[in-house]
Amino acid sequence: MSSNSKVYLRVAAERGDAPLLPSERMWGFWEFSYANSALAIATWAFLIGGATALFVGPKEGIAAIVIGNILGVVVMAMSTCVPCGKYGTEQFTYLRSMFGTNGSRLVYLLAVVFLTMGWLAVLGLMFGRSIDGLTGLLTEREVQPQGLLVYIAAFVSILVTAYVVVKGPTSIKVFNTIVAPTLVLIMGTMLYLIFSNHTFDELMALSALDAPFEDKRVNFMIAVEVNMAAGFSWWPYLGNLARLSKNERTAFWPNLIGVFAAAALGEVVGLLAAAAFGDSDPTVWMTHIGGIVFGVIALGFVAFANVTSMINILYTSIVGLRQVIGKQLREIKWGFLVVAFCLPPIAIVFLAPGIYDGFFIFLVWTSALNSSLAGIGIADYFFLRAQRINLRGVFASDDLSPYKYLNGFNPSALLALVSGFVVYVLIFNPQTLDNVSIFQFISASLPSCVLAGIVHLVLTRVWVKKMGWGAYQ
Amino acid sequence: MSDDETMRRAKDLERRIRVYEEMEENNDWRGALQLIDYAVLVMLTLGLVIALYTWAY
Repeated sequence: MSSNSKVYLRVAAERGDAPLLPSERMWGFWEFSYANSALAIATWAFLIGGATALFVGPKEGIAAIVIGNILGVVVMAMSTCVPCGKYGTEQFTYLRSMFGTNGSRLVYLLAVVFLTMGWLAVLGLMFGRSIDGLTGLLTEREVQPQGLLVYIAAFVSILVTAYVVVKGPTSIKVFNTIVAPTLVLIMGTMLYLIFSNHTFDELMALSALDAPFEDKRVNFMIAVEVNMAAGFSWWPYLGNLARLSKNERTAFWPNLIGVFAAAALGEVVGLLAAAAFGDSDPTVWMTHIGGIVFGVIALGFVAFANVTSMINILYTSIVGLRQVIGKQLREIKWGFLVVAFCLPPIAIVFLAPGIYDGFFIFLVWTSALNSSLAGIGIADYFFLRAQRINLRGVFASDDLSPYKYLNGFNPSALLALVSGFVVYVLIFNPQTLDNVSIFQFISASLPSCVLAGIVHLVLTRVWVKKMGWGAYQ
Repeated sequence: MSDDETMRRAKDLERRIRVYEEMEENNDWRGALQLIDYAVLVMLTLGLVIALYTWAY
């Protein structure tokens, strides 16, 4: 085989067409930790920290950030990074064994496409607000969060994102190498500025910005839930990064450095700044934190970093979409697909801009789905399949695969997903924040995750296995 | 995609799957998570949850 041909096949494997061999995987512990941290340190950390400050003061907020993130990240990584790190398989290809071929496509649509569209709108609006705050600082006028400039800038940011993604991955790499280290620098400066003006004890004594309930335990658990949602929100993305690391250990442990510790650090900065300056919106408190010069630099960079994050998630989602949906979508022109994908986020920006201020509602809705998916993943991989996957079956066509289900859908996994989702909303309604009394002790994500896992386990044993579906032993 | 390319890809996929099947047969999973990893993980998670909850309240 010629060296060109070898390179071509390896690139195809890297893109998910085939499993990566352990010898081909490029990331050891530190390489994956760095990539993982670069992903975690993004502008959404400020938003999540700010949202936490709405419900609790900084002291409880730090606890909520650590507790929520460690629980969310550990369960998420167990269900995605461990199997993908073991077999080097693309996450949604691996999920065919669990959800069936069509089920895996459905999960992709629900977990990746809708999530990406929502994030594009939120980050686009954050870009718009940063530009508004920046021009406000320069022209000494009041910021206008609902002003026309915000919407136009948000619209432009989505257009720029689409343009870069149409151009391809080369331009994306350039942005990525700048953003994470600069954001670390900005976060460090922000921490320094916050602690220059307030003592630790003063900060810890501050109260919540807009606590919705009298009962402090309920507010605390909502803050934990928001952060658990942040931890679970990595579920659709991290399996595909973990497959590039050398083995199970290097696929799992770096998550505790990156999407747990680094993300938590960014969120704590957002929490402290929001509490100290009395506003949960980072584009507002950044105008107060360090004078005009720092404000302009920070807001300008945050606007830039938002577009970088938008480019990353849009590119990844469309590559995955073409992989998962298959031939029909691969025949559509790349540029057309990118533009079509950007239309819903643009519509959200103009028709439902409230998604930015209530962004935690959107985040918590995704947790109703992601926590159930993680529970099903753990039940399937660890308990039903004893950590063994038939790779030949995963890559076989539907008619030849042992992972055959009902019209390509595994009914037990889908019913488990619905049960987990429903239980979540019954315990805690993300839209209204209504909750039942047990919520303050066990959250909503954990019972949803456990229940979805148990439903999948039981239905598989009493029904799916007997029907001869899915090659369960 | 040409027939040639499809065949090349199928052969490559087969080669890769065989490597994993051999690893499975020989139980040769270097760097697999062991009992110690799970024990440390549980202790770390519970430790952080209990310590931070106690500190905050």
